[in-house]
Amino acid sequence: MIWQLDLILLIFVVICAIAAITVKDLLSSAVILGAYSFFMCLLWVEMGSVDVGFTEAAVGAGVSTVFFVAAVYNTTRRTKD
Amino acid sequence: MEFIISKYNYWIYITLMMVGFYAMIGKRNLVKKLVGMNIFQTALILYFISTAAKKGATIPIVAHGHGEAVHAVHATQYVNPLPHVLMLTAIVVMVSTFGVALALIMMIYRRYKTLEEDEILKATK
Amino acid sequence: MIGQIEDVIIQTFCRLIIPFMQVFALYVIAHGHHSPGGGFQGGCILGASFILLCVAYDIGEAKGRMSEKLNVMLCSLGVIIFGGIGVVCLILGANYLDYGILHKLLRVDVPQARSLGILGIEIGVGFAVMAAMISIFLNLASRGEHEEAIEWE
Repeated sequence: MIWQLDLILLIFVVICAIAAITVKDLLSSAVILGAYSFFMCLLWVEMGSVDVGFTEAAVGAGVSTVFFVAAVYNTTRRTKD
Repeated sequence: MEFIISKYNYWIYITLMMVGFYAMIGKRNLVKKLVGMNIFQTALILYFISTAAKKGATIPIVAHGHGEAVHAVHATQYVNPLPHVLMLTAIVVMVSTFGVALALIMMIYRRYKTLEEDEILKATK
Repeated sequence: MIGQIEDVIIQTFCRLIIPFMQVFALYVIAHGHHSPGGGFQGGCILGASFILLCVAYDIGEAKGRMSEKLNVMLCSLGVIIFGGIGVVCLILGANYLDYGILHKLLRVDVPQARSLGILGIEIGVGFAVMAAMISIFLNLASRGEHEEAIEWE
């Protein structure tokens, strides 16, 4: 566990989280949430928990982003806040 | 000040958790609430994973675990695998709740033609 | 989204990458008991390869490869494999999912029987998770109608 890498990844994660909830387009929100999941996966692998990181890379960054995009295409992209 | 800096990771986890919590209660769009719930869950999992980390420890996989002569496993050389297993279950629950919530949001959109909470409340009155 | 964009680059690339994804998923399932990975992760990657086929071509193409009936049958087959191995252990006189007792049936020694039992469990979980992921995606992408019902707004 290297604390410089840890701090950089944590700052990226916080930036991605704030961007995902403030952006005005739900499709952009889906893609930024995928990036958030991938940074979270890097953080977990860096902490030594390879199994959880692998699961998050397969599920959070892969499959659930596809679910999100499919649902957004079937409803609407617009949001007021 | 030293109290804050020495425990910087916990403060960032709490910040991340509060970002998700704000999105769950402050945003009016239903999909934004769902994004907030996802952020909240991953922040909670991150906290649990960080309790397992140790200095100078490697990943919890015993190399040459079978076949050769069995050698002793020192627990200080490996990170604690118990929170990993618990949080693996939490990730499985996370993706299934995400799918169910998206299906419910699609049904709400088909009925009310909007995803904003205030417009749905106005339409139900 | 689906069936509206006919891009030869995306289709060729997906046709090339899907077999490698499936081989990697089978590797993850088969090596799950002594390395990272396992039934859930491998099943997710296996389902993601079919989802990629749905996205690159259309839902009809993917349903030609794996029909709705086969999908539901695979989902229940995974659960039956999981429960069946447990019940076989129970019948042979041990606890539920106590794989060590399977050495009477498989004619190998006890550690080998435990390894094979975990492998069987992970194959069952992989089937169930793959079918569930494909089913969730098809229901979300086609508004629960399993047809090409996707258009803007």
